[in-house]
Amino acid sequence: MDELGPIDLSPLDPERDPERWDLLMEATRLRVAAVLSERAREPDSVRVLSGWARSILAAAAAVLLLLGGAAAALGGHAPGNPSDARRLALLTESSVIHGRAPTGAELMAAVEAGAPR
Amino acid sequence: MEETDADLVARVRLGDRRAADLLLRRYLRSCRAVALAVTGSEADADDACQDAFVAAMERIDSCRDPARFGAWLLRIVQNRARNLIRREKVRRSEPLEENAAAGASSAAAAELDELRERLSAALATLPEIQRKVVLLYDLEGWKHDEIARLLNLPQGTVRSHLHHARRRLRQILGERSVD
Repeated sequence: MDELGPIDLSPLDPERDPERWDLLMEATRLRVAAVLSERAREPDSVRVLSGWARSILAAAAAVLLLLGGAAAALGGHAPGNPSDARRLALLTESSVIHGRAPTGAELMAAVEAGAPR
Repeated sequence: MEETDADLVARVRLGDRRAADLLLRRYLRSCRAVALAVTGSEADADDACQDAFVAAMERIDSCRDPARFGAWLLRIVQNRARNLIRREKVRRSEPLEENAAAGASSAAAAELDELRERLSAALATLPEIQRKVVLLYDLEGWKHDEIARLLNLPQGTVRSHLHHARRRLRQILGERSVD
């Protein structure tokens, strides 16, 4: 036998026991079907959100940093009050419904809308 | 023409069970080989690969490169298998009575069981990376470059692992039992 030739590992071939293998396939299929059914029941917005959750967190961190500067530029309007939060939440919700992340300009417009005139 | 992994992943994301089934058929054997390499036990390998495939379907949206679904899936398998053996180590403070009900098997089945046990014991002496390489190459028929991509190794390293694994297995098993 060639030193470099393959080792016969066929006794470990899972399909040598077809009954057990079919059982494994079938059990996995059933569990996957349950997962996909659950997925079908999930609202699209939840999936969209989970898809860009990381981007949102990163954007939120950036927005928090920007808000401080924006507040100073707008004459001392304090960021983070309840009406700012509501406007940002509404903007985010609307973006989720339309399946896209809010732009920086939209976020700034939402902040400016609450600034003292 | 065979659908690509990326096509199938896109369909699974839309809830297509048939696409999930095609991925299952395409990868379950490889999943089991990797799980067997990690756990060293066929029963544990079955559990780990099933759990991993289901977890992959649950997290299909986080597969960043659907064209490399296989590598992503096999990483999940590896992690699941490692977690499983960690839990098993804790649980198995007492020896298990394995296959107690299998006493009435035929002589051929008993011979096969013995061969399996010898192979499993021989494989257990190899480092995990060598077990993966030899199982994927000699049992699953993967090519060097495919294994290299999966394990993130140069092809030369894969060849070297395969060579050392085979040499070691031959030493342990003796030529008579593997011919």
